[in-house]
Amino acid sequence: MVKRRSAILVLEDGRTFHGESYGSVGETFGEAVFNTGMTGYQETLTDPSYHRQVVVQTAPHIGNTGVNTEDDESDRIWVAGYVVRDPARIGSNWRATGGLEDRLGVEGVVGIAGVDTRALTRHLRERGAMRVGISSVEDDPRALLERVRQSPQMVGADLSAEVSTAAPYVVEAEGEHRYTVAALDLGIKRNVPRRLAARGVTTHVLPAGSTIDDLLATGADAVFFSPGPGDPATADGPVALAREVLSRRIPLFGICFGSQILGRALGFGTYKLGYGHRGINQPVLDRATGKVEVTSHNHGFAVAWPGHGDGPAGAVVPDQVIDTEFGGVRVSHVCLNDNVVEGLRAVDVPAFTVQYHPEAAAGPHDADYLFDRFAELIEGRGPDGQPGAGRNHSEGRTNA
Amino acid sequence: MACPPAAHPSPERQPSVKVILASADVQRVVDRIAHQILEKTQGAADTVLLGIPTRGAPLARRLAARISTFEDVDVPVGVLDITLYRDDLRRHATRAVGPTQLPPGGIDGKRVVLVDDVLFSGRTVRAALDALNDVGRPASVQLAVLVDRGHRELPIRADYVGKNIPTALAESVKVTLVETDGADEVRLCGGTR
Repeated sequence: MVKRRSAILVLEDGRTFHGESYGSVGETFGEAVFNTGMTGYQETLTDPSYHRQVVVQTAPHIGNTGVNTEDDESDRIWVAGYVVRDPARIGSNWRATGGLEDRLGVEGVVGIAGVDTRALTRHLRERGAMRVGISSVEDDPRALLERVRQSPQMVGADLSAEVSTAAPYVVEAEGEHRYTVAALDLGIKRNVPRRLAARGVTTHVLPAGSTIDDLLATGADAVFFSPGPGDPATADGPVALAREVLSRRIPLFGICFGSQILGRALGFGTYKLGYGHRGINQPVLDRATGKVEVTSHNHGFAVAWPGHGDGPAGAVVPDQVIDTEFGGVRVSHVCLNDNVVEGLRAVDVPAFTVQYHPEAAAGPHDADYLFDRFAELIEGRGPDGQPGAGRNHSEGRTNA
Repeated sequence: MACPPAAHPSPERQPSVKVILASADVQRVVDRIAHQILEKTQGAADTVLLGIPTRGAPLARRLAARISTFEDVDVPVGVLDITLYRDDLRRHATRAVGPTQLPPGGIDGKRVVLVDDVLFSGRTVRAALDALNDVGRPASVQLAVLVDRGHRELPIRADYVGKNIPTALAESVKVTLVETDGADEVRLCGGTR
């Protein structure tokens, strides 16, 4: 085996880790975040929500199953850098079409291996997500630290346009066509239209800069706001669009970044979490049913609930309905680890969102029912399956 | 109990010897315990490591060294001799009494982590708790062991376990360390496997 080049990883606060080059040789910067998933590295790497982030895998063995042509969540690797403990020397899986390191090399993704990812993760957990640099061409940590401190911050980053599709495209329904959904691509994952298609939904995926007229021109029965990277406070365009959708009472479903967009459209704030939720075993309580789901997460920002403060310190009051410009809104889901708002449901307009990933990929399918809820919402039943909001929405649709 | 090194091919009818942890495994396990101590004690603040002779003492020093490498925290290390506190003192010829060395800051009000190589009946740890009683009043006491082989005779458990080894009572677990025996290894000897 070829001896690897030495590489260094330097955090914004000066902490340095030494390791070996993994993937492409070079230098990269981004926000250091850790992902606790023990599987699904290919989905993680190709998830646009990781744009400009350097992902630290807490699972020590990465690359065991190689890469294949089926599991990509977008058409490229999006992570800015990749940090692993112990890369597999040989990937092995019946679906594999290549090795992970080769793929990283081909796509020019700079990584580092042999790092004590446990100590690194603990550091990020105690001190919060911060900027990081990885280099296999620079030997001097101080020089790299200078460049890390000059790299852009995640707060205030408007990244939707960078990850969005350039031209609209359509994902056809499987089997009988039931509904049409216009999806605003802020960094959509392939599995979202796939989950919708399985329910007879044809999805028109539209660029991030689309207008309400573009959305309506698709003949959509409902609108979907996708997950994606960046700071929701910069997403003025999508927020204004969500307000248009709400005021026309078109059914709206948002995931992750899309959830933060809806939160802002309803007049709530958003804030950056200390170190975010990234992994595939996060417990979330569905407050409507009292059931707990184990879910896939990838978010560094969250919706600030009034009285909940800027952090997870206070608990969200159960059954509290807050009046907004678009009627009552309640928190439908909370994360049981830290009480962060994980889902919003409008009472008077047909709209609901979740902060986590019901489409999984990677992750458990506990929350798959949310796509059924969306279909029911389009059908004219409320988010709880009750009539009400849906009736209003059909009126809204005739107006539109 | 005599336990020959595994390197010698053992002819039939000799007790079997199986290497459970080789040198690199022992190091990895020590690294993990060091990480766990850091995580469970919020950065090892106000924590003292006390090794139980013979092999607990070098293990405690290794843990402190690893903690220092990981987080740049210096954890005080000491040695707690328990010979005179054993409950079988009157039944066996005792081993030589060793020194108890407490770190300069003492253990009063500190979180003490006792460190030993093998947790078996629990009687050594019980003796260590008695010994602690005579040298100070820690805020709390935890236990880290390289190997937990089961067969407890007292209600004692470890907070940090390097490796759980299910054993038969007739088997013996032998830990060797570079500091005391020249090599890092954990062997399981005897039995019928």
